[in-house]
Amino acid sequence: MINEEFASLLAAAQGGSEAAFSRLWRDVNPALLRYLRVIAPGAEEDLAAETWVQVVRGLRSFRGDEQAWRAWLFTTARRRAIDLARHRSRRPEAPLDDVAVAQLPRTEDSAEVALEHLSTAAAIALVSGLPRLQAEVILLRVVAGLDTESVARLLTKSPGAVRVAAHRGLRRLAQLTADTGVTL
Amino acid sequence: MPNIPQSPLQDGSAVTDADLVALLAGKLDVAPGLLPVADVLAALSARPSLGELAGEARALAEFRRRAGVPVSRRHARRSTAGLTSRLSAKAAAGAAAAMLVLGGAATAAFANMLPAPIQRLAHDVIGAPGAPSAPQPVPARGKPTAPGQLASHGTHKSNAKPHGTSRHPNRHGHGQPGTNQGQQGNGEGQQGTGQGQQGRGQPGQPGAGQPGQPGTGQGRQGNGRGNPHAMRQYGDPHFLWQLGDPHVPQRR
Repeated sequence: MINEEFASLLAAAQGGSEAAFSRLWRDVNPALLRYLRVIAPGAEEDLAAETWVQVVRGLRSFRGDEQAWRAWLFTTARRRAIDLARHRSRRPEAPLDDVAVAQLPRTEDSAEVALEHLSTAAAIALVSGLPRLQAEVILLRVVAGLDTESVARLLTKSPGAVRVAAHRGLRRLAQLTADTGVTL
Repeated sequence: MPNIPQSPLQDGSAVTDADLVALLAGKLDVAPGLLPVADVLAALSARPSLGELAGEARALAEFRRRAGVPVSRRHARRSTAGLTSRLSAKAAAGAAAAMLVLGGAATAAFANMLPAPIQRLAHDVIGAPGAPSAPQPVPARGKPTAPGQLASHGTHKSNAKPHGTSRHPNRHGHGQPGTNQGQQGNGEGQQGTGQGQQGRGQPGQPGAGQPGQPGTGQGRQGNGRGNPHAMRQYGDPHFLWQLGDPHVPQRR
């Protein structure tokens, strides 16, 4: 989260400052990718890029604080993911070849960072095992940093339903970690 | 009886709502049974990897393409465009208004409904009918009419015939008959010219009058619509002679 600087950064980005926009992008894009990795696995990069294209188009007309900014971004990303899911259901595709994990580009050489990302990937995998609504609520609350009301608006649920889903998801996570003995 | 290991969280009551709220808030002082969950949530919001920042160049390119133009330049371009459109709109409105006014004025001029000075101007410029005016009295310079003097004016109307170089009938022959008659009839060229100018501008046949017969006085009682300038010009025998009007008597 950017907090105090957000208003000035947003104004600068709306005025055409690339540095300000870069800062906003760097702040949100990782969370966006993690969220999309759960709700649209395999398409997170493309969906994030499409989300930013849409955000850039409407950047000048955006008004609001950091919560509203993040809510706008994640709402846009969620809609893109829903569109993609509809498209895939109409035209199913079978991948021709799977890229081996060993062939994936590795740019990080720090062991600590690798372990951290490994734990992040494991955490995302754990959350992905939750029911969809619970996983989304936990990601939007924890990763996106949205409050209950914003998540409720985004998911078109009542705040009470969001709270219930969050608590159930956390209980489920606790049970999963206890059952599997996962340590991150 | 088998000893089945039981998860400490199997009983839902072990986790309170306050613990969950604390978890979501990122607090680490939670129940010991929830510490693994706290670790999962912390891993979810860990610092970004390089792979998660790899799309920055693409996003910046899109930003540069769509929103990278500085605000001042963009506003200037927009304001210029707006000014241009506003100006063109104003110009179009002005042109339309001017056309409306001119068209209305021309219509009024041809309907002979303008005030006399303007009607005369319209007559000069666009050939509208002559300006109406009150009947003018007999010119003060004119001598008392004697039989034969006005005979020429009597024929003025009856023998109307357009001639001359201009296409507008009201610009032809104003005063020509009178002038001619005046010269030919009784030598009252001065008055005859004046009569012709005040006449209705209907050309007449020069020389058609019968000398010595009483005239009807129509020429003298003309309504004065004729253009004095044009009539003065055309009524001038020298001018007509220069134009080669065959009806104009040659100077002797």
